[in-house]
Order: sequence, then C-alpha cells, then structure tokens
Amino acid sequence: MQAALRSSAITVRNAFLQHLRLTVAATSHRVPILLDSRVSFSSDHGTYLDKSSVTDRILELVKKMEKVDPAKVTPQASFQGDLGLDSLDTVEVVMAIEEEFALEIPDAEADKISSCAEAIEYVAAHPRAK
Amino acid sequence: MSAAAAPSPAQARALLKAFMREARKFPNYNIREYVKRRAKEGFKECQSISDPAAAAAAFANGRAQLEVAKRQSVVYSLYAPRVKSIMDLKITETTL
Repeated sequence: MQAALRSSAITVRNAFLQHLRLTVAATSHRVPILLDSRVSFSSDHGTYLDKSSVTDRILELVKKMEKVDPAKVTPQASFQGDLGLDSLDTVEVVMAIEEEFALEIPDAEADKISSCAEAIEYVAAHPRAK
Repeated sequence: MSAAAAPSPAQARALLKAFMREARKFPNYNIREYVKRRAKEGFKECQSISDPAAAAAAFANGRAQLEVAKRQSVVYSLYAPRVKSIMDLKITETTL
C-alpha cells in the first residue's frame, strides 16, 4: 500500500517537473568599457602645480615657523644662512612641506633642500604634489 | 651595550623625522602635538653634546623613545576620540 502510494507520488512529481518551465531571462551584464575619453587615468600621475602658487604656499609656510622673521622670507632665502635656522629646523620645514603638499620626501632628497628656492623647485617638479 | 660610535648628523635628522612621522599617526590632537614638541625639545637639548659616548647614549635613548611612541600610537589609535579637537578643524572667517 505504502509502496504503491510512494511510486504514484513519484510519477506525479516527475510529470509535474516535466511541465515546469522556469523562465530564465538572460540578463545582459554590460561590461563598462573603459574607452570613454572622459575616464582619465591621470589622477595617479598627477599634474604639476603652478610654480607661483607653490612659491606662495611655501613662503607662507616658512613664515609661520616659530623662529623665522617673516620679513626676511623671500623666494631666494636659504634656511640656514638667511633665516637663521639650524639643521633641526630645516627638518621641520621639510616635514611641514610634506604635510602641506601631501608628499613623502625621501631622506636623500630632503637633505638637498636648504633654501626656499630649492624647496619650490622640488615641489614644482613633483608630479604628485597637491 | 658597548660604547657605540656617535651618530652622524644624517642619522640624527632621520631619527627626528621618524619621530615627526610617528607623531602624525596619533589621532588625538593633544598627544600628536605633544610628541612633536617633545621630540624637538629633546633634540634641542642634545644639540650641544660634543662627547661621542654621551651622543651615542642620547641617540640610543632617542631610539628607545621612538619605540615607545610607536607602541603608543597603536594604543591611541584604538581609543581614538569620537569628536575631533577644535584645533583640528580648519576654521576660517567664512565658516564663522
């Protein structure tokens, strides 16, 4: 009795499944094509900053240093000679420049920066300066 | 520790820089500024040391302190303040 019931249940199930159709719509996955001219990859390379704005920002920042007399700050001023800073203050200036322009200046480069002119030159020639 | 050679000026500058870099990581304004200030102070204090052994000892002490700062920046970052210090806000006359 039970076996007969089960076998009939299976036949009903199979018949049902045969007629069952699931409509599967092929959804088109549109792959964004990255050939659009508006999409630029230049953000990584960055652009060079305008030299006059770099000059303004660096001079502003140097003027804010504790020991610096703002009147003496010129684009040509050297940190140790003209502004009376020592090597530790120079490190501070370089760190402040890093923060201002979101850069990371490696030690070898940082040691070469000893005047406002050199700092401006470095930042203006740095593609990732912000 | 055996008598180490006095650090070169470049090494000393690199240590100060490492302190400043570490200081930036503190989320808390007060601690961040303190670490910067204290690092500068420490270097100024040691600037006039001429004895190589004393300079080496000061340098070793500085490196040990840098390790402390590194550990503390991790701890402080776990308990970062939910609200920024007013000193961290860029307030200009137009925002007022």
